[in-house]
Amino acid sequence: MNLKRDLPTSTLSGFALSGLLILTLLNILLQNMPDNIQTAGNELLKLNANEGVANAVTTVVVYFRGFDTLGEIAVLFIASLGLGLMLHSNTRCDIKAESNFMLQTASKLLFPIILLFGIYVMIYGHLSPGGGFQGGVIIASGVLLLLISHKEFEVPHSVIVALETFAGVSYVLIGLIGLLVLDTFLGNFLPHDISQMGMLISGGIIPIIYIIVGIKVGSEMSMIVQNLIKRSDDV
Amino acid sequence: MFEFLNQQEVIKTIVTIGSMVLFFVGLFGLLTRKHIIKIFISIAIMESSIFLLFIGLTFNTDFIAPILDNTHVNVSNMNDPVPHAMLLTAIVIGMAVLALGVSFAIEYFKLTGKTDINEMNEMKH
Repeated sequence: MNLKRDLPTSTLSGFALSGLLILTLLNILLQNMPDNIQTAGNELLKLNANEGVANAVTTVVVYFRGFDTLGEIAVLFIASLGLGLMLHSNTRCDIKAESNFMLQTASKLLFPIILLFGIYVMIYGHLSPGGGFQGGVIIASGVLLLLISHKEFEVPHSVIVALETFAGVSYVLIGLIGLLVLDTFLGNFLPHDISQMGMLISGGIIPIIYIIVGIKVGSEMSMIVQNLIKRSDDV
Repeated sequence: MFEFLNQQEVIKTIVTIGSMVLFFVGLFGLLTRKHIIKIFISIAIMESSIFLLFIGLTFNTDFIAPILDNTHVNVSNMNDPVPHAMLLTAIVIGMAVLALGVSFAIEYFKLTGKTDINEMNEMKH
């Protein structure tokens, strides 16, 4: 056995050298870092109070860069579309082993709770940590649990199509209404008083948009998971 | 005993060195593994090191989470919300890229039965 051939010594030494150089560079940057570098964040935090939303991260994601979030869910949609195109098959899930009785019963019990928790994270995204993306992924994890425990379970395709179409169209429509009313795409045209901050109904369009994002992310992630699990037998 | 860990310099040094180590673990896997799924997982490890670096460099133990309430509108002692929002985007994009890449790998394996990148030479001749 030739040890030199198995161990890529030149690659390893190149790694060590580049890692050392980058660490040195970062060390120099860290030592010269100014004390107060959070100016952009502080400006946004001051502006955040105008929108009446408690969670500043939600305001940044949905309001200050809401157009980017629209592009982001478009990217997620394109990934889901490509994955469905590549892995589409009409055969059912081909997990060989039948899951046992305990997993089947427990997943039936757990799925409504996971769904409820996902919807809670989605709806309270403007008050607490969480939001549409996180809630959508939680719902998709519940769907994954059902998919691996029940061989015959399948996400109904028409429901996914209806939910995704509703979410995408209403996101753009809310943006266009904001453009008509306030001359800004995704302008906050609903009442958003600062005295309502911390209540469930506050912040104007921001919680509505995050719920829409959650519906879209949840349905897309469920389709991605289902397409990855469902495979045809002709490998 | 561990109070010295709360100093900003110590936290930032630990986060920087740790995420760089994680980045190079991912880069090493990316360049030396031959299985295509392992290469995608290495890319995911590199991405997670970048997430850790961004969150860790803007994290301050003296500050609180950027969640306001109607009695507390003083924002001077809150953490920066911008890296969190940016990394939410980055995580979603990374997930999309990983899922699409894995689907390509699965379809390629179905068509040719190969997972080794050294044998993927259909376009060569």
